Amino acid sequence: MMIGVDSVSLKRGTFSLMGVSLEVPEKSYTVLMGPSGAGKTLLLETIGGFHTISEGKITIDGQDVSLYPPEMRGIGFVYQDYSLFPHLTVEENISFGLKMKRVPSAERKETVHTLLSSFSLLPLSERYTGSLSGGEKQRVALARALATRPSALLLDEPFSALDPDTRSSCMDEVKALQREYGLTILQVSHDREEAYRLADQVVVMDRGVVLQSGLPATVFSRPGHRTVASIAGYENVLEGTTGPADGEGTPFIVGGVAIIVHGSFPVYTSCLACIRANDISLSRTDIPRNGSLNIIEGQVVSLIATDQGTRLRFDGPFPLIIEIPRHIWPDRGYQPGEKVRVSIAPEDVHLIPLAGEHVNGVVRS
Amino acid sequence: MSSPEFSHRKRPWFSGHSLLAFWIPGMILVGVIVLALLVIAIPVLRNPEYLASAAADPVVFQAFLVTFLAGFCAVGILALLGTPLAYALSRSESPYKGLVETLVDIPLVLPHTVAGLMVYLLFMSRGVLGAPLGELGLVFEDAFPGIVAAMVFVSIPYYVNAVREGFGRVPVQLENVARSLGASRIRMFLSVPLPLTTRHILYGALLAWGRAIGEFAAVIMIAYFPVVISTLIYYRFNTGGIAESQAIAFLLILLCLVLFFIFRFLTRRAGVYDDRS
Repeated sequence: MMIGVDSVSLKRGTFSLMGVSLEVPEKSYTVLMGPSGAGKTLLLETIGGFHTISEGKITIDGQDVSLYPPEMRGIGFVYQDYSLFPHLTVEENISFGLKMKRVPSAERKETVHTLLSSFSLLPLSERYTGSLSGGEKQRVALARALATRPSALLLDEPFSALDPDTRSSCMDEVKALQREYGLTILQVSHDREEAYRLADQVVVMDRGVVLQSGLPATVFSRPGHRTVASIAGYENVLEGTTGPADGEGTPFIVGGVAIIVHGSFPVYTSCLACIRANDISLSRTDIPRNGSLNIIEGQVVSLIATDQGTRLRFDGPFPLIIEIPRHIWPDRGYQPGEKVRVSIAPEDVHLIPLAGEHVNGVVRS
Repeated sequence: MSSPEFSHRKRPWFSGHSLLAFWIPGMILVGVIVLALLVIAIPVLRNPEYLASAAADPVVFQAFLVTFLAGFCAVGILALLGTPLAYALSRSESPYKGLVETLVDIPLVLPHTVAGLMVYLLFMSRGVLGAPLGELGLVFEDAFPGIVAAMVFVSIPYYVNAVREGFGRVPVQLENVARSLGASRIRMFLSVPLPLTTRHILYGALLAWGRAIGEFAAVIMIAYFPVVISTLIYYRFNTGGIAESQAIAFLLILLCLVLFFIFRFLTRRAGVYDDRS
């Protein structure tokens, strides 16, 4: 099943989806990302048929289903909290859809038994859902959604309520299910790791508009918008202006200094320079300069220990966040207030022309 | 880890943990209710012959029967018409919803005589609804349907508001999932929010029934006969004196307490779905 969203607009209270377009190819796994309040769940619910759109159309395999009620769209839906029916047992939850579709009792029992068995839920079949663990609830929700054999699934942050171990195994299960059932999946997520692991396509949206879509590696390495850069994990987004290019690259002027950037850009254009915290090197000022480009001096503001090592706040001509990997840190031992030198490789700076930030695939001018 | 001595130490009543500051004003209200019950119960129990005569009186028995039956009919009508209204109000996003909510609450704020007048003007034999329904053979003036109509009218807000609150507690996501699984809106309503609101529906029914059987002014304006219990108490108060009316009132309180207790006992597990409890 291929899902198409074509210039869809709708208003809910003070929030609006504005001309949203995206395509979820058949049997693909698409991850929808964006900050809180971006409209991801609203878009998912709109595709599911729970809201009436004011403009545009929603298509399934090319057929306009914008006016179809949810029960006629044949799309499964799993919410973040799984929304299991608390007044029904696990078995009754899974057979709910089959009952609604008036599947004969014998066939219903067989299908439910198969699903209970394949999701390892047989021992829980008579239990009410209120006392199940997060992982068990998720398995029930998926089994319930798959019981009616939908061709597409809409998943609203299905892994966010799980502990890290369960989360990892559930992701593998869902990916395996997608392949086994040939499902088209559109999933909302906040997590880049989830997108890398599951997605064939990533769509990033904010404030009711789609900002960028494409392969995860492409979207995360070449963001076309400040929000996408933030979601892609660029901790440093600096606003500045390009200067006239020379043999070494294009100078990007920020905080009164020039950073050389690879590639050619129009001169005197306002841009955002995106730099990952772990792409910045740090050294003491008493170490001789090695002649490399983009060496900036400043001081350490603060240090925070993280899983990966140490996160350091730097202040110089402009502020930076720097990640020092664990294996380097013990030898350095920087202190707040200490004078330091940072170096940034030109190829590690990604420039986004501000006038060319992409919105819904259209360059904003 | 706390020592056994510490864990068994009694908290002083004036400590921040005590609810005494809340219990004292609250118990004034409870005390008034208990006093009111006692002023009925003590004289009746001192002179049990009045109680025995009231219990054996066929007029009293018939009045109880009419009252309770009319109350059940009123609750039945409210369940049929009020439940869909409560659901619509809980889910509607219409700007006119507030207007409908205000209209539903009107019987709550009206003096009972005004409610009675409204019911009479609507359902009298020449009334807007009474005339056409009379042609179909449904008479309200001084008839059982008139009592039910008055009871329904005054109980609407009690039932609708309690049930609407129940529907409001059912997450709309459950309904969305049910729809995505193939349920039409009506089947979804019958399968998900309705069973999940059982407790509020029962509570609303109890409130509405209690309000209905206690109605006096609205009932006598449309149907003095057949006599309901509140009319009979008032009549006996005027003709037979306090002792006679006290005995009937005591019987009514007793019956209501027994019915409320049975109701709460039978419905104590309604709407509770948890393997652990």
